[in-house]
Amino acid sequence: MRRNIAVGILLLLVFVALPGLLSAVGGGYWFRVTTTIGVFAILTMSANLVTGTTGLMSLGHAGFYGIGAYTAALLATKLHWPFLLTLPAAGLVTAAFGILLALPTTRLIGIHFAVATLGLGEIIHLTLLNWVGFTRGPMGISAIPGISLEGLFPASDIGHYYAVAIIAVASALVLGRLTHSYYGNALRAVREDDQCAAAMGLDVVRLKIQSFGFACFFAGVAGALWAHTTGYISPADFRFSESILVLAMIVVGGLGSLPGAVLGAVILLILPEVLRPIGDYRMVVVGAVMFLCILFLPRGLLGETPVLAILRRQFGLAWDRTKHLGWRQ
Amino acid sequence: MFDIFFVQQLVNGLSVGFIYALMAIGFTLIFGVLNVVNFAHGEVYMIGSFAGLMSITAFAPPLFVVILVALAFGALAGFGLERIAFRPFRRFRDEASLKSKAVREATLLSSLAISIIVRELAEKIFGSNMQAIPQEYLLLTPVQIGPLTFANGQFLIFGLSIAMLGGLQWLLKRTRIGLAIRAVANNPMGASYVGINTERTIIATFIIGSTLGAVAGLVVGLYQGAIFPAMGFAPGVKAFVAMVMGGLSSIGGAVVCALILGVSEAVTTSFFAQGWGDLVAYVFLVITLVFFPTGLFGGGRERV
Amino acid sequence: MSTTILEIRNVSRRFGGLLAVDDFSGSVGRGERVGLIGPNGAGKTTLFNLITGFTPVSSGFIRFDDVELTHLKSFQVARLGIARTFQNLRVMPNLSVFDNVSIGALGELGHSPLAALFGRREQAKAVSQRTWEALERAGLQAQAGELAANLSYGKRKYLEIARALALSPRLLILDEPAAGLNDTETAQLAEFIRKLSNEGLSLLLVEHDMNFVMNLCERVMVMASGRKIADGTPHDVSRDPAVLEAYLGSEESDDPEEAAA
Repeated sequence: MRRNIAVGILLLLVFVALPGLLSAVGGGYWFRVTTTIGVFAILTMSANLVTGTTGLMSLGHAGFYGIGAYTAALLATKLHWPFLLTLPAAGLVTAAFGILLALPTTRLIGIHFAVATLGLGEIIHLTLLNWVGFTRGPMGISAIPGISLEGLFPASDIGHYYAVAIIAVASALVLGRLTHSYYGNALRAVREDDQCAAAMGLDVVRLKIQSFGFACFFAGVAGALWAHTTGYISPADFRFSESILVLAMIVVGGLGSLPGAVLGAVILLILPEVLRPIGDYRMVVVGAVMFLCILFLPRGLLGETPVLAILRRQFGLAWDRTKHLGWRQ
Repeated sequence: MFDIFFVQQLVNGLSVGFIYALMAIGFTLIFGVLNVVNFAHGEVYMIGSFAGLMSITAFAPPLFVVILVALAFGALAGFGLERIAFRPFRRFRDEASLKSKAVREATLLSSLAISIIVRELAEKIFGSNMQAIPQEYLLLTPVQIGPLTFANGQFLIFGLSIAMLGGLQWLLKRTRIGLAIRAVANNPMGASYVGINTERTIIATFIIGSTLGAVAGLVVGLYQGAIFPAMGFAPGVKAFVAMVMGGLSSIGGAVVCALILGVSEAVTTSFFAQGWGDLVAYVFLVITLVFFPTGLFGGGRERV
Repeated sequence: MSTTILEIRNVSRRFGGLLAVDDFSGSVGRGERVGLIGPNGAGKTTLFNLITGFTPVSSGFIRFDDVELTHLKSFQVARLGIARTFQNLRVMPNLSVFDNVSIGALGELGHSPLAALFGRREQAKAVSQRTWEALERAGLQAQAGELAANLSYGKRKYLEIARALALSPRLLILDEPAAGLNDTETAQLAEFIRKLSNEGLSLLLVEHDMNFVMNLCERVMVMASGRKIADGTPHDVSRDPAVLEAYLGSEESDDPEEAAA
């Protein structure tokens, strides 16, 4: 019951209170900021699945974000697909790439895997940059149609905000379901000790690939949203520094924690806004915050173990034998 | 077969390769001793070049002084880096913690964070655009040897690289600190048991590795004529690739692979466009990691 | 149904020039309690790694209940019904006791993401139930919500066993289960293991505590330098001259083995 109330309040906040507030302070620009936060929230939640929960440090997540964005942009501008089709297409194409690229790298562990993802991310970025015939290279793709429904409502900042909010909430539901289920526990086992997990019968390779696939699907979705809500994308949006930004967000929020990922996104995107006067120092602040977090808050702001323990105690689940529930369902 | 153009590219590739080699050595030394990747190595390279530029614009000294300045700043940067980004995570002294995944990931992230901070600050101070090196210092005077044209900068690169590599070999094989480094790289716990001061050895390793990187940065600046704050990223990654290809713990392997990388890049750039040349390093990286996890020259570490 | 549940035939494992396991043949009977002893470095843990798929076999074969194990991966071996514990206690400290044990259950019952997303609650219930059963068998149900890191050393041993039990194994392989335990704890553990055996579980264990092995095991295999040098009842093995020589002649003769022999 308490959980339902908490979720209800959150939804109210996102769909009613916040838009109301933003409209009051002048709409337009602030809606765009929150839309960006929404897109990055989806991106960080997806990164959290693979890095925080499964323990596969990925330094190339921006590359998949880019694949999603370009897929949506190209489908929309060249084939005139509507948003409702480009979104899932972007997700699926990115997931396919993710799985394809993950297959040969599942044997790698720790730092090797991290660096391989770095290489993959850069390969994707450089390909987007140099394959001018297909992607228009550094010129980018412009005039991407916004999110609209024919005859119902045209593209607008508020419209974009709601679209992103709905998709973000849906993503959170799906990712949350995955993370807080027994399946999530299997992923966490891979993170904690993959050799031991294998000895206990877990198909570790399959779990890693699945995790990567899901994460890339949502990264692709985030990319598609970015493309449609900003109207213009270029390879510069998907460089290594974006991957680091995402990584910083999940580190700050707490590796392995879903609400932490969102919180990290909010903090690291709001901070430069709040510090507008020194706005150009965004990346310095990102780096500094990331460093301080690693040093003093290795569990992040909402590190996983404390949060799960709190949640469990709060909602009185898990240890009630009569309900046979081991995890939140 | 010995197409002049091709040979010319080979030479260019080798000079680039030597630069990567100097940086790769820094990576390998640090990795060998601490088992961590130093993501901020590229920034040390950049610091070397900017330190050189600043000394040139400040009091226009002769070339070898500029090199010394770069060396000094490199050493300082290396020391600072070790103290700030790596030392705080050696809070635990036992073997299991040192090798633990969490600690290594934390240092990876912290060096990454520091590299971002340093790079961004440099961009704030110097602007993100290219800074030109004053004409007098540029090493672009062509030197004709037979049908081939070299720039005297390339001679400096070759000469300096070989001198530094030789110096490093001597240091590692014939001095006490070199012995300490090799011991700690082999077995940190064991080394401390026999009385080697691991802390000091680690610091020394960082200083040596960073000086090599800084000098590499300076020389590249002098050779290419312009430097910019983000210049460390790409060579840093390429040096890392060379290290991985060489088997992670082998300096010789890293050097050879760096040269291979440099040449492949030069050849790719001349036959395709510039952008694709950068791709070569990353493709090599992924291929090596996937198909040769122990490095091309084997003997690499299995479960890192 | 034959009486042998695990059969190891002419198995060798070569590491470059070193023969860690040299033409080893042995078996574990259904419901039997078999001990594996030998001086340090004899290759016991390597043999365990070979059986459980951690290391590939260089030659020979291993059969579990007539299924060929030799080239299977470790998770496949586990799913067939062989569970193990580790010499250096590989418990996952950041997860709760419940979550730790559930990993064994997940191994056997499967871990499909689609079932987690769209399925009804059966899967989760099955995993939960299996986990609780294992916890109760090991006497850890009161600590289910605790972080594994907070458990005492002794309790962690039981945690590892509980996790292995969650796999519903038919053969349990224990790698030095009594290491680091005091006399009382060791006796309790022996009781527990005996109870498991009475419930039908086949057991193969490595131990250095000779009393433990001699009192608990029905049969003992002795390994030295990668080879099997004896195989028989504890009584016979403790008097076997080859065994005595292996222990007395080895460098690590600082233990009660000599006293027992």
